[in-house]
Amino acid sequence: MEKKSKLFRPLAAALALTLLLAGCGSGDGPDADASGSKAPAAPGESAAAGGDGRKVFRFGQAPYGDTLDMQVSTGSLSASIADEITESLLRFDDDNNEEPVLITDFPTVSEDGTVYSFELKQGVKFTNGTELTARDVKFTFERMFTPATGAKSFSYFSMIQGAKDMLDGKADQLSGFEIQDDYHFTITLEYPFAPFVKNLGTSYANIFPQDACTAAGADWGIDDNLIGTGPYKFQSNDPNTEAVLVKNEDYHGGEVKLDEIHVVYYSDTTTKLLAYENGDIDACDLLASQLGQYKDSYGDQITAYHPLGTCFLSLNLDVDALKDAKVRQAISLAIDREELVEYVLDGAGIPATTYLNPAIPGHDDSLPVYEYNVEKAKQLLAEAGYPDGLTIDGGKVRQQEETLATAVQGFLADAGIEYVFDVVDAATWSSDRTSGKLATTFITWNALYADADFQVYNYFYSANSGRQSVNYSNPAFDKLMDDARSDTDEAHRAELYKQADQILSHEDMACIPLYYPQSQFLAKPYVKDMKVGNLIYHLWNIDIDLEAQAAFNG
Amino acid sequence: MKRYLVKRVLLALGILFSISLITFFILNIMPGDPVALMLGDTADPNTIETVRHNLGMDKPYLQQYLEWIAGAFTGDLGTSYFQRKAVAGLLASAFGYTARLAALSYLIALAVGLAVGIVSALNRGTLLDRGLMTLTVVGISAPSFWVAIILQIFIGLRFKAIPIEGLDSPISYLLPCISLGLRYAASIARITRTSMLEVMGQDFIRTARAKGLSPARTVLVHMFRNALVPIITVVGTDIGTLFAGSMLTESVFNIQGVGKLLVDNITKRDIPVVQGCVICVAVVCVAVYLIVDLLYAAVDPNIRLGGEQA
Repeated sequence: MEKKSKLFRPLAAALALTLLLAGCGSGDGPDADASGSKAPAAPGESAAAGGDGRKVFRFGQAPYGDTLDMQVSTGSLSASIADEITESLLRFDDDNNEEPVLITDFPTVSEDGTVYSFELKQGVKFTNGTELTARDVKFTFERMFTPATGAKSFSYFSMIQGAKDMLDGKADQLSGFEIQDDYHFTITLEYPFAPFVKNLGTSYANIFPQDACTAAGADWGIDDNLIGTGPYKFQSNDPNTEAVLVKNEDYHGGEVKLDEIHVVYYSDTTTKLLAYENGDIDACDLLASQLGQYKDSYGDQITAYHPLGTCFLSLNLDVDALKDAKVRQAISLAIDREELVEYVLDGAGIPATTYLNPAIPGHDDSLPVYEYNVEKAKQLLAEAGYPDGLTIDGGKVRQQEETLATAVQGFLADAGIEYVFDVVDAATWSSDRTSGKLATTFITWNALYADADFQVYNYFYSANSGRQSVNYSNPAFDKLMDDARSDTDEAHRAELYKQADQILSHEDMACIPLYYPQSQFLAKPYVKDMKVGNLIYHLWNIDIDLEAQAAFNG
Repeated sequence: MKRYLVKRVLLALGILFSISLITFFILNIMPGDPVALMLGDTADPNTIETVRHNLGMDKPYLQQYLEWIAGAFTGDLGTSYFQRKAVAGLLASAFGYTARLAALSYLIALAVGLAVGIVSALNRGTLLDRGLMTLTVVGISAPSFWVAIILQIFIGLRFKAIPIEGLDSPISYLLPCISLGLRYAASIARITRTSMLEVMGQDFIRTARAKGLSPARTVLVHMFRNALVPIITVVGTDIGTLFAGSMLTESVFNIQGVGKLLVDNITKRDIPVVQGCVICVAVVCVAVYLIVDLLYAAVDPNIRLGGEQA
C-alpha cells in the first residue's frame, strides 16, 4: 500500500498545481495590466505617468457617500470634488483668505449692513456653454429654499429676506434677491449678519446653471450629473470606484494646470495608504493615528496643516455632577495637555490655550496652555463637595476618539474622577447628541472659515447648545454673540469674540478645550503646490512636475 | 421527489420572508438616526423632522414594512437615503463582483482542498501529511482580513504586476481569491482526508484492488466517489458563509461587492440599502441550501425517503 501510494504523489501534486495555475493563470496572459495601476483605462487615457506629456493627478479619498449637490450634502468629501466643478461667487484660498471668483470685486454693503450689491464677471461660461448671468445666481438661491429640493445648506443663508416664506411654502420667489441686469444684483438681509459674505464663499453657495440643473431634476449631483463654471468638468464618476475630471479648456480664471484629476475612492484607510505606497495614487490624507507608522519612511512626503478647529471634551451642563463650574475647572486642571499631544497624538497638534482656534480673529494670543495641577484639581473638587472624588458617567465617544478618551480617563483618575464612557458608532452618537441627552463626548469642532461666529455661535449660543448636548446658557455671553453678529467693523468684532471666549472657556469652563488638531497628507515629490487651508482638499492649484515624475517612477 | 421539491421551495420562501421581517425590525429599533448623521453638526429638530418626513421615515413601522414587501415583489427595494439611488440598481452592480469573487475563490479552494486532502490521505502518517495538515490548521485559523493585508504587503507591494486592490483585470483576482478561499481550501482538505481514509479501509476497495484495477481508477472512481457525501455537506454550508463572509475581503481590497455595500451603509444606517443587502445574501444562501438538499436527495436515496416520510 505504501509503495502504491507513492506512485500517486507526483500525479496528485501535479493535479493540484495545474488546478491552482488554471485558476489564477489567466492573469499572466497578454491582457494583464503590467503597470499595476487601478484605473480602468479607457482608450487614449492612461492613469499612470505615461510619458505622453499629459498631467494626471490621482488623489485617494473615502467615498463621499451621498451627493455632489452641495445644497444637499454637508460633507467635506463631497465638497472636495464639487468645488473643482462648481464655483461659488467667492472662495477661500489655501491660506483661508477669501477672494472673489465669479464677481469682479467684493460686494458693497449698505450703511445698515443689510443690502449687498454684486457685479458678476462678464463672459463666464458654464461647461455646457451657457453664460453665467444673475438669473442663475437667483435660481441657485431660490432652489435652496424650495422645500422639494431637500436642501440642508439653507441655514447658512436663511437671513436673506424672504427665505423663510419660501421654506414655509408661502412664496416661490426670493423677495430679498433683486436683479438689476444680467451682471448686477442685490441681496437684502432681514437683519445685519456680518459673516454673510463669508458664507457666500463656502461650497454651500455653489452656483448652478438654471437650465441644466432644472433639466436634471432630482438627479442633479448624482454620479456625473454636475455642471459648473469651475476649472474641471466630469468625464465620468462612479461614486464607489473613481471620478475622472478633465480640464475645462474655457476656464474664466486662466489656463488650468492639470489635464486630468482622478479621485479614487477607498473605504479602508489602510488600503488607501498601501495604494499610495504602491504608486496607484499620487496623494491622499493621513490620519493622525497612522502618522507614527509613516513618519519614519515617508517623512519627506508628509505635509502637515492646521484646520480651523479645536478638539475638546464636550460637557452637558444639565448633568448634575457637571453643573458646578468648580468641577469643570477641576477636570481641566487634571489634564496634562502637553503630554497628551506629545504621546497620544504623536505630536500632531497644539496644546489648547483657549477655545477659539489660533487662526481665528478673536483668539487671545497672550494666554498660556491650560494649567495642569492635580493637587489644585482635588482641592476644587473638595470645595465643590466631592472630597472623595466623583464619577462622571454616560459618556459616549466615537471610535476615532477612543484613544483620546482613554488617555483623558487616565488623567482624571489621578484627580479622583472616575470617567466612564462607551464607544458607539457615528449614527448612534449623532442621534444621542442631537437629542440633547449625551452626558459627555469628545469632538473637534471646525469652522468653515476663519470666523468666530462659526466656531462659537453654532455650538454654544444658548438657542443652539441644546442640540449639541451642551445646554450652556449665559446671557452675558449670548449678548456678546448677538452684538458681534451685527457689527461690520471686523476689529471690533474680534474684540467682542475675545471677551466671549474668555467667559466661555475660562470663567465658565463650559467645555474643556484640549488641543488644536493638526492634519496631514501624503504627496509624492513630483506633486507641486498641494496645500490645504482647512477641511476641504481643493485641487485647483495643484501641478505635476512631469520630469520629476518620470525620474521618480524610474 | 416532486412533493419533496415543492415542500423545500415553500420552506425556502418562508425563511426569506422571516428574514426580511426580522431584519426590518432590527434595523428600525437599532439605536442611531441616519437623519441626524446626514444633517451633520448643525442639525436642528425642525430640519430633522422635515427630512424624516421626506424619506417616509415617520410612517408607522408596519406600514413601512408592508410597502417594502409590496415593492420587493415588483423588484423595487426602495431608495438609498444618502445616495438617492434605487437599491435594486446598487445591488445589481454589486452582485456581479461578489458572485465572481466568491465563485472563483471557491473553485480554487475546491481544487486545492480536494488535491491536498487526497494526497494527505494517501500518504497518511508521513511527514508530507503532517505538514499539509498543519498548514490547514493555519489556514482555518487565520482571519481572512489579516491574510488579505499580509498578501497586500508581502505580494502586492513587492510585485508591481499584481494589483493590491480593485477587481478590474484578471490578475487582480489573485490576492482576494487567495485570502477569501484559503479558509475553505483548508477545511475542504481536512474533510476530504478524513472521508477518504474512512472509505479506504472498506471491503469494496480491497476488492477493487484485488481484481486488478489501476490505482488511479481505484482512487478517483471508487474511493473519491464514495467519500463525496460529507464533502457535499461542507461545500453547501461553505458557499453560504462564503458569500456572506466576503464583506471583510471586499472592504480590504476595495471591491464594490455586496459585502462592501453592506459595511459602508450599516454605519450610516442607510436602512433600505442594508435591508436590500441582507435579503440578497439571504436569497443566495437559501438557494444554495436548496440546491444542496436536492443534490443529496439525488445522490443518497435514504435522504429523499426520510424527507417524504417526515
